[in-house]
Amino acid sequence: MMKARGHETVEHTADMGLHAWGRSCEEAFEEAAGALMDLMTDRRGLEGRLRFDLAVTGEDQAELLVEFLNEMLSLADIEEAVLIGVSVERCLDEGDCWSLRAVVSGVPRDACRGRMLREVKAVTWYGTSVAREENGPWVARCVVDL
Amino acid sequence: MAVEVRRIDDYLWEIPQQGPMLVPGRIYADDESMRQLRSESGAREWDALLQVRNVACLPGIRFASLAMADIHPGYGFPIGGVGAFDGREGVVSIAGVGFDINCGVRAMSIDLPRAEIERRREQVADELFQSVPAGIGSTGLIRLGSGEIDRVLVTGARFALERGYGVAEDLEYVEDGGVVEGADPACVSDRAKERQFKQIGTLGSGNHYLEVQYVEEIFERDAAAAFGIEEGGVVVSIHTGSRALGHQIGTDYQSVLRAASRKYGIPVPENELMAAPINSPEGRSYIAAVKAGINCAFANRQAIGGLVRNVFQRLFSLDDSRMRTLYEVGHNNLRFETHEIEGRPERLLVHRKGATRALAAGRPEVPARYRDVGQPVLVGGTMGTASYILVGTERGMRETFGSAVHGAGRLKSRKRALKDYSGQGVIRECARAGVTLRVHSRKGAAEEAPGAYKDVERVVAIMEGAGVNRRVARLRPMICIKG
Repeated sequence: MMKARGHETVEHTADMGLHAWGRSCEEAFEEAAGALMDLMTDRRGLEGRLRFDLAVTGEDQAELLVEFLNEMLSLADIEEAVLIGVSVERCLDEGDCWSLRAVVSGVPRDACRGRMLREVKAVTWYGTSVAREENGPWVARCVVDL
Repeated sequence: MAVEVRRIDDYLWEIPQQGPMLVPGRIYADDESMRQLRSESGAREWDALLQVRNVACLPGIRFASLAMADIHPGYGFPIGGVGAFDGREGVVSIAGVGFDINCGVRAMSIDLPRAEIERRREQVADELFQSVPAGIGSTGLIRLGSGEIDRVLVTGARFALERGYGVAEDLEYVEDGGVVEGADPACVSDRAKERQFKQIGTLGSGNHYLEVQYVEEIFERDAAAAFGIEEGGVVVSIHTGSRALGHQIGTDYQSVLRAASRKYGIPVPENELMAAPINSPEGRSYIAAVKAGINCAFANRQAIGGLVRNVFQRLFSLDDSRMRTLYEVGHNNLRFETHEIEGRPERLLVHRKGATRALAAGRPEVPARYRDVGQPVLVGGTMGTASYILVGTERGMRETFGSAVHGAGRLKSRKRALKDYSGQGVIRECARAGVTLRVHSRKGAAEEAPGAYKDVERVVAIMEGAGVNRRVARLRPMICIKG
C-alpha cells in the first residue's frame, strides 16, 4: 500500500518528473521539495547547520508549487548552500492568491561537495498540477529541467 | 491518442494541419526513429510528436512547426524544435528557448598533430580539468565589480575579451560576433544577476562538456579547407551556456508569460507553452532579457576559450596564432530573422530549442572566410562517440529557416541510464573507445552514458539525406571533461 506521504521521480527522456503526495497540501509540498532535494543531493546523515525562512505567493496552488520549488533553487545558489530539509508551515488561500511559508535547512556547499548529485536548472510548468484526490491524498506533479 | 503522422519522403514526415493547428508539423526522421516516436505517441506522458503539434497551435506561427532529426521530448517545445513566428503578429514562447539560454558549442582548431596530444594525454586531461571550473556549484575566476554584471549582459564576449580572455579574432567566428543588440539589463532581475555573480567562466554540469577531439574523417574537402581543418587535426569543443543567469531569467518570466497568456487570450495547448505577443510590454521585456542571457553565454564561452588557450600555451608553448576559434553557435535561442515564405520575405522571430542555426553559402552573416561554403554547424555527440561539423544548405534555408540538429538527442531517461550503466563502467567504456574521461560526478557520467543517446551517425545521416545539412567532418574525442 502507498504510504500516507511520499515522493518519487517519474521517467522523462531528457529531464525528470516529480510526483509527491501527502495528507495535506503542506505535506505534499514538503514531499515535492524532498523529491527536488533528493535529485540534487545525497542527504543521508547530513545535518542542517543553516536555516532560511522562505515565503512565496502564487495565483493558485500550481503556481505556488512552481514558485516554491524555484525559490529553493535560487536560495541554494545565492547562499552557496546545499538544501537538506524543509518544513512547510502553511499553504494558505488568501482569497486573491495563495501563500506559503516554510523553513529550509541546509549545509554550506564547501562542507559537502561530495554529496552533490545534480544541478537542476529550473522547475517548469510542464504537466504541473496540485490537486486533492477524492477522499485521498494531496498530489503535486511537475517536471524539472536538468 | 497517438498523433497522426504522414510520410512526405524518406526523411521527412508531416503532422497534417488539423483542429487548432495553424500550420502542419514537419519532422525529420528515418523509418526507425519515426517508429520510436510513434510508439511513444499517446502511450506515454512525454510525447514529442504531441509537442510538435502543440507548437503548431501558437498564434502567428509560420510555415510549419519543425523538429530536427535529434527530436526527443522536452517541456512544451520538443528538443530539436524550431518555431518561427510573424515578427508583428506572432508570439514569443518561453518553452522555445528554455532555461539554458544560448547554450551552445565553441570549437577551436589547435595547430598540433594528434600524436602530440596522445603522447601527453593524461597531463592535458589533468590540466584542463584543473584549469576550467566545472561541476555543480563551481565558481569562475572572473570577479565582477559592482554593476559590472550589466556590462556582461550588454557587451557579451567582448567583456571576457577585455578581461584578457582570448583574442579579438575569436569574435569574428562567433555567431552574431559574440554580442546581440537589444539586451536590456533592466529586464533581468537582481536575483538573476546575483546568481551569476560568480559563475562567469564555468562549464556547469549535466550534458555540458569540454572535449579534445581529432578530425577522424573529412566528407567535404572544400568546406574543410575553408574551415581550416584536415584529417588528424586537433579540435577543442566547449559546450556550455548562460549558467544560472539563464536559469533565473526563464524562471522569472514563467509567471510573467503565464499572466500574459491569459491577459491577451492566447490559447495555450500546454502549460509550459505560455506565450506573450512579440509586440506587448511583456513580450518585449522577455526578448530583451533573453538577449541579455544570450550575451552572458557568449561571455562565458569566451572566458572558457581563454582558459583553454592558456593550458595549450603552457603545455605546448603554442602562441595564439596557432589556436583559432573555428566557430561558435548556440542551440537554445531566439532571433529575429528574415526568411522567404511562398516567395516573399518575412521578418520572423525564430525559436530554436535544441536546434542550431545553419546558414547556407553566400549569406552575409557567415564569416567572410567561410562564405563560399556556408556556416559551420557544431553538433555535439556523446562521450566516447563522435561529434560532427556540418554546413547549412539552400534547401535548409527554405525548409527549416536555416536550422540543423544540435546533438545526438537523448534516447533513454536518466533513470533508465542509471539502471543500465554505472559511472565506473562508463569510464571503462570510454577508455576502451580511446577517450580519457575526467568527471566531477560519477553519477553524472552514468546518466550521460553514450548508450543513453541516439546514434549521432544516424541523426546526421537523416539531415544529409533530407538535403538540409551536409557533413563536413567527423570528430572523435580523445579527452572529455564533464562537469
